[in-house]
Amino acid sequence: MRGAILQVLISAIPIAFAIGVFGTIFGAASTPLIGRELTLAASLIVFSGALQFAMVGLLLAGAPVTPLLVTAVLLNLRHLLLGAALRARISGSVLKRAGLAWFLIDESAALTLAAQERPAMTLVCSGLLFYIAWFVGTLIGTLGASLPQFGSVAEAIFPVLFVGLASISADRRELKVRALAAAVISAVLAMVWPSVRSYVPVLAVLLVIIPERG
Amino acid sequence: MNIWTVIALGALTYVSRAAALVLLPDPPAHMRRFLERIPAPLFASLAATALFTPEGSLASPALLAATAGALVAVRSRSLLVILVAGIVGYFGYTAGLLLIRR
Repeated sequence: MRGAILQVLISAIPIAFAIGVFGTIFGAASTPLIGRELTLAASLIVFSGALQFAMVGLLLAGAPVTPLLVTAVLLNLRHLLLGAALRARISGSVLKRAGLAWFLIDESAALTLAAQERPAMTLVCSGLLFYIAWFVGTLIGTLGASLPQFGSVAEAIFPVLFVGLASISADRRELKVRALAAAVISAVLAMVWPSVRSYVPVLAVLLVIIPERG
Repeated sequence: MNIWTVIALGALTYVSRAAALVLLPDPPAHMRRFLERIPAPLFASLAATALFTPEGSLASPALLAATAGALVAVRSRSLLVILVAGIVGYFGYTAGLLLIRR
């Protein structure tokens, strides 16, 4: 068991570093807008980088509460896909699954889906590490650090991570083709229609998982 | 913006995380077949989207070099090897750029 936890942590630490750097950037950007207490509360209660950065953007644009809530619903749509994919691997009581759901973010779900065994343990260990990294990063950001020198390297970790996870998940030809199709659709949409960028993964996945092989 | 807005955002986010994981019954075989198709395209899509800025232009060359490094290592099918290859790609590009500038 200890060896399995260590293996999860080894894979998760570089990602936690990147999440911590983004937490710091979020903390530094959000504190002047909503204050230190609300910034920390957001990272503690919401725990979603995409949504929290969108929140900062909308607040900067002077948006009221309703667009924030609508954005939350739309940005969180991909959690339904991730949750459905994880459901095929995670069993147990409703209470256990409700507890595990707290740790479901893109990166922890990805590591869990790529794990060959012990999916629940992978979700908890990686999710908890990412939660701590996000909160500590935010705390550092609220104290005045901005870490611009680490921002670009942290940004580069996410596509690398997702390339790795896609390659591990695509363990047969059919999945490789679907993954490639999703990548092409997403690249085209992100380039020609950047305003829908946040919803591209959901759209691309729905387009490529339904067709059956001829 | 107050604490109630933050709590509402947190509640919406948690519900989205829990909805499928908690409410879906243990999926039958035909459903499982569809669900097993989700991860690879989803991660490929997230990777492809990350290669572009929110304005629709290509991301920084260093990020692209990191992704290229990762792509070179995909045949290893080891996440750690791919992460290391990506980081090597990133710093290789940055170091190369510094050398050229000197």
